[in-house]
Amino acid sequence: MYGKGLRPLSIATVIAFAITLSLVFFYAPIEADQGFLQKIFYLHVPLAIVALCGFIVGGIFAVLHLRRDDPRYDAYSYVSIHISVIFAVGALLTGSIWAKGSWGHWWVWNEPTLVSFLIVFLLYATYYPFRYAIEDRQRQARYASVFAITAGAFVPLNFLAVRASASLVHPRVFATAEGGLPGSMMLTFLCAIGSMALLWTTLVKFELSAKSAQGQMKRLRRALDAPTSAATSRIAPEVH
Amino acid sequence: MPAWLFAAPSIPNDVGGKYVAGAYIVFVLLLLIYVAIMGMKLARIERDLREVAEIAESRTAAPAADQAAPGRGSQEPSISDSLAPGGSRGGGA
Repeated sequence: MYGKGLRPLSIATVIAFAITLSLVFFYAPIEADQGFLQKIFYLHVPLAIVALCGFIVGGIFAVLHLRRDDPRYDAYSYVSIHISVIFAVGALLTGSIWAKGSWGHWWVWNEPTLVSFLIVFLLYATYYPFRYAIEDRQRQARYASVFAITAGAFVPLNFLAVRASASLVHPRVFATAEGGLPGSMMLTFLCAIGSMALLWTTLVKFELSAKSAQGQMKRLRRALDAPTSAATSRIAPEVH
Repeated sequence: MPAWLFAAPSIPNDVGGKYVAGAYIVFVLLLLIYVAIMGMKLARIERDLREVAEIAESRTAAPAADQAAPGRGSQEPSISDSLAPGGSRGGGA
């Protein structure tokens, strides 16, 4: 069920990435200040934005789970957060490489943008031990949803707080007095965001499909162990 | 070598080029690690599926052996037939 449409989505993602990488390296101009190093921008910023949006999406699915009491939404929320954590790792690593090339340091502790993103990442890193510390499946899903909603609400608040604060070294590209990005860079950047969002969606679907297969396998095993009782049970994709 | 590869700008051999290559390699590595982990999960599912299929096969074989009374055994389907789509229908009695 979850694997439906995975193939066209994967193909679309590959095509989108091919177009984006072509735009990044052949179309977008070399930035005057940072030079070729600025090409990391088209990877690092989309990774960070999609990761943060993914955390919010995870929170929205958690709301749906609590409202409708449907375990599928818990699985969606878990997988959204899981893939977003991977993207956040990517954003941290690529950002760190960019920082080293640009500022000469792998990390700057007095920079609000960096530290706030690290706080968000560490917050979501506690999601797994928090979730699996609870053995009862129903309670686990409920508590994980409450966590996802709270942390999901923290993400935009954190973002706004950082935007309001005085940045020391991290560049502000959008909505600046200088007018932001030029057209060709903006087009490339939007393509990069679109590709990254497509990749996120593909990976979420892929992960859900794998979880569903795992769940169905357990269901089949239970049905073979106790054919009469398992035949009538309603099985949702298991989250492990 | 294709002509477009010659026309493509090479990565500048300065500090910036090194970091850009590093960042994009890290991204690809992250994806590869994820795909490898998913591959291992898929292998586990496949192994479980094989085990479940074996259990199902043995269960199908057991009643078939019980029903194979003298004089009726030749009419029973084989194990592989019974697991094929529609193969178990009309097998027994």
